[in-house]
Amino acid sequence: MKIIIRIVLLAVLAALGVWLWMVLFPSPEKVIRRRLTELARTVSSSANESDLARLAAARSVGGFFAAAVELNVNLPELGQRTMDREEITQAALMGRSRAGGLQVKFPDINITVAPDKQSAVADLTVEANISGEHDSIVREMKFTLRKTDGQWLITRVETVRTLT
Amino acid sequence: MTTRNQAGQLNHQPRPVSWLRILVIGRNPKVTLLRVAVLIVTCFIVFRFILLPARIEGISMLPTYQDRSVNFVNRLAYRWHEPRRGDVVGIRLAGPHVMYLKRIIGLPGETVAFENGRVLINSEVLDEPYEKAPCDWNCPPVKLGPDEYFVVGDNRTMPSENHVFGKAGRDRIVGKALL
Repeated sequence: MKIIIRIVLLAVLAALGVWLWMVLFPSPEKVIRRRLTELARTVSSSANESDLARLAAARSVGGFFAAAVELNVNLPELGQRTMDREEITQAALMGRSRAGGLQVKFPDINITVAPDKQSAVADLTVEANISGEHDSIVREMKFTLRKTDGQWLITRVETVRTLT
Repeated sequence: MTTRNQAGQLNHQPRPVSWLRILVIGRNPKVTLLRVAVLIVTCFIVFRFILLPARIEGISMLPTYQDRSVNFVNRLAYRWHEPRRGDVVGIRLAGPHVMYLKRIIGLPGETVAFENGRVLINSEVLDEPYEKAPCDWNCPPVKLGPDEYFVVGDNRTMPSENHVFGKAGRDRIVGKALL
């Protein structure tokens, strides 16, 4: 009986150790997933947001991106170009003031981390609800991320054409 | 409950179970608990892996499916055969949480075109009994690859620029609409 109790205790201890290890040293995939979820939350805005809050949120959005970001999206104002962080902040600010209220979600995120664990590609679904609009906007996008100074920053954003 | 018999001895009889308790948890709570557990597990498996519940948003499948209506996507539908023309299928984006619901009109290897609203498959007009309203779409011929299907919504009264349609890879087809 004593042996069984010892085995159970050992198993519980091992499970606790594994859990603690995963909390303290999360996998790159987990870190990226958390970061993208945070990005969606930061991009979202309420209709009655103050100017100061809008500016602060737009600056935070810029912090998710690398110094230079390659864009290849099917939006008339953006299209295919390279933007720096300041331009992204400005675009985020403009988008926030124009949209009124915006709720962004990434319901599906597939992450592929490169073998060197320094870069990753996230294929995700973007679901955006603009206040007052009946239908939500749904797009499939691909984000390329690179680990810079311990942080995963977005270096490339492209629209994926689900139906070609 | 306690009663006294003819010899004057005390009899302990079980309390009658109230009808409300029977209705709520049954005569045997252990069996009921087991049934509830089996039901929960079955529902979880069915609605997570086999029949994906889907709320339809948008008007692209009118009049077949109304905006904000509910449907299910059967993931097992194409386990034993490939998708067929006329099937309404769920097409995944990055994952199965958000899908497009579209009708298959073109099969692998075929050439699909729209000419004055009529669908041409390998230059022959496709009979579409589900199309109720007139359409004026024109699209140049599209040749489908060996694993590609041509999908489109039923509502072709809206401008083609506002309608999401085109080639979908077989790997993007999640399943067939159940209702």
